[in-house]
Amino acid sequence: MKIIACCKLVPEEQDIVVNADRTLALDKADTKISLYDLNAVEAAVVLAAETSGKVTALSVGAKRLENSKARKDVLSRGPDELVLVGDPSLEGALPATTATVLAAAAKKIEFDLILCGEGSSDLYAQQTGMLLGEMLGLPAINCVSKIIAGDGKVTVERTLENEVEVLDVPLPAVLTVTSDSNVPKIPSMKAILGAGKKPITSWSLGDLGCTPSVLTSLQSVLAPEMKERKKIIIEGDTDDKIAAFVENLRKALN
Amino acid sequence: MTKLANVWVFSDMADRYPELIAGGASLSDSVSAIVVGGPECASKAFAAGATKVYLIAPDASFMVEDYTPTLAKLVGSDPAVVLIGATKRGKAVAARLSVRLNAAAVSEVSAISGDAGALNISHMVYGGLAVGTEKVTSPLVVCTVGNGVFEPLTAGAQGETVNVAAEAPTSPRARCVERRTKQGSNVDLGKAKRVVAVGRGLKAKEDMAQITALANALEAEVGCSRPIAEGENWLERERYVGVTGVQVKADFYLAMGISGQIQHMVGVTGVKNIVAVNKDKNAPIFQQADYGLVGDIYKVLPALTAAFK
Repeated sequence: MKIIACCKLVPEEQDIVVNADRTLALDKADTKISLYDLNAVEAAVVLAAETSGKVTALSVGAKRLENSKARKDVLSRGPDELVLVGDPSLEGALPATTATVLAAAAKKIEFDLILCGEGSSDLYAQQTGMLLGEMLGLPAINCVSKIIAGDGKVTVERTLENEVEVLDVPLPAVLTVTSDSNVPKIPSMKAILGAGKKPITSWSLGDLGCTPSVLTSLQSVLAPEMKERKKIIIEGDTDDKIAAFVENLRKALN
Repeated sequence: MTKLANVWVFSDMADRYPELIAGGASLSDSVSAIVVGGPECASKAFAAGATKVYLIAPDASFMVEDYTPTLAKLVGSDPAVVLIGATKRGKAVAARLSVRLNAAAVSEVSAISGDAGALNISHMVYGGLAVGTEKVTSPLVVCTVGNGVFEPLTAGAQGETVNVAAEAPTSPRARCVERRTKQGSNVDLGKAKRVVAVGRGLKAKEDMAQITALANALEAEVGCSRPIAEGENWLERERYVGVTGVQVKADFYLAMGISGQIQHMVGVTGVKNIVAVNKDKNAPIFQQADYGLVGDIYKVLPALTAAFK
C-alpha cells in the first residue's frame, strides 16, 4: 500500500514565551513535528511494512520546513521519502489553506491512503484531514483507532464518544488517527543515521499550480488572562512540613 | 452588532441542540434547526427556541456524515452562520460541509462577534496557551461549538416544520459493518467536584492503589496527565486531563507528580483550587497552584491518606 503521512512542523510549545501584552513570541521556539502527527507517521510505517508498501511523508508550511533537524526527525521515523511544499505565504496557514496545498501535492504523488494526525499541536482545529478528503472527493474518516489492510479497502475502528464503529473504507481514502491508536517508536541510532540518505523533494506553490483562496484570516493571538493563584508553596517533605501542607489542603477543600 | 439574516444549527447528538439554538438566537432572529429524526425531534427543537425546523427522515444505511450533501443543499449560498455541535462526527461533518459550501470553517469557537460579512470568531490555539481571533471574509461560515459556550434559552419558539428527503451520496463512502458500545469507564471527570490526578511522578502501575486510596479518602475522582493514559495505559483515556482530554471544572484539584506542562494545565483553568505535589521545585505547576509542596509523592501520599481517612 502506498501511503502519504501528513506531518506539520510546528513551534515547540514549551519554548513559546508570552509577552507582557499577552501576544506570543514564537521566534525562539524550536521546530518539532506536531505531536499528533507522530501517530500518523507510525501508523503509516506499520501499515506499509505489513503490505510491502511505501510511505511518503508530506509537509507544507513556511520557514520551519527548512529546519534540517526536523526533516531528519521525520525521516528517521520510517518514511521512505519526504516531500515539502514551502512558501512564505504559508506561515501560520489556517486549515483550509493547508488542506488545499496538501490536496494539490497529493495529486502529484501516487497513493492508496493518506493518514493525518487527529489535530495539530498549534491550532488543533481537527479539520485538515477531513477538508483534504472532501477536496479530493475521497472517503474521509476521523477518530480512527485501528487500521487493518484489506483488498482495495481498509477496515478501521473509529472511536467516538460513546461507541466504536467498524467501517469498511474503499481506497483511496483519507484517515485521521487518534493519539492513542499507537505508541510512536523512538528512532534507533541506525534509523537516525539512515535518515540523512533518504530523498527529500521540494515543490513550490507554482510547481503545484496552487493558489489557496483565503476565507478567513487570523487577526490576533493573545494569551488569556490567567486566574491569579495563591502560590503558597511549602518546600520539603519532613513530617512537620507535610502536616502544614495538610492544613493548607483543608483550606483548599472548603 | 447587526443581526444576521439566518443561523443554521445541526448536531448528531440531540442534547447539543438547546445550546446551539441559543447561540443561533444570539446572532439572528431566525434560527433554522436541521434535525435527522421524527416529529418529536422537531417539537424539541421548537421548545429550545428554533424558529424553523428542517426534518430529515433518517435513512438506516446512512452514517451521519452521509447527510452532508443534504445539509449543503439546505444551507445553499445565502450568507449565514452554520453552528454544529463539536462532537467527533460533528467535526467531520463541519469540515466536509465547509468545502461543499466554499465556506470558512472555525473549530470549537468560544465567541462570535461583529456584523454579517465581517464576523470575528475566537477559539483556542497552542493547546490553550492563547486565544486566536479570525476575521471571516466569506459569506458563509461553518463553526463547531463545544459544550458550555452558550446558555440554553428559557423560552421556546414556534414555526414551520419542513420535511426533507436525504440526498443520495455522491462520492464513494465508508460503510459501517459493526457498531458496539464503547468499552471502558463511564466516568465523567468534567463533572467531578474533586479530582486527584497523577502524572509521571508515579513509578509503577501497582502504585495506582495509593492514588486511589487518597482519592477515596478525599471523596474525589481519579484523573491523570496524558502519559499515564496514553503510553503507560495505567488509566482509561476518559481520565486524562488536558488539551485532547478532559476539561476539569472541579472545586479542588490535587496534582501528584504532574509537572504542569501547558497541554495539561489548559485542562484545569476552570478549577477553583489547584494543589500540587512535585519533587522538582521548578516544575511549572507551582506557578499555577494555590497550594503546593515540594517533595516526594511517595512520602506525601500515605500521610495525606491517613490525615483524611
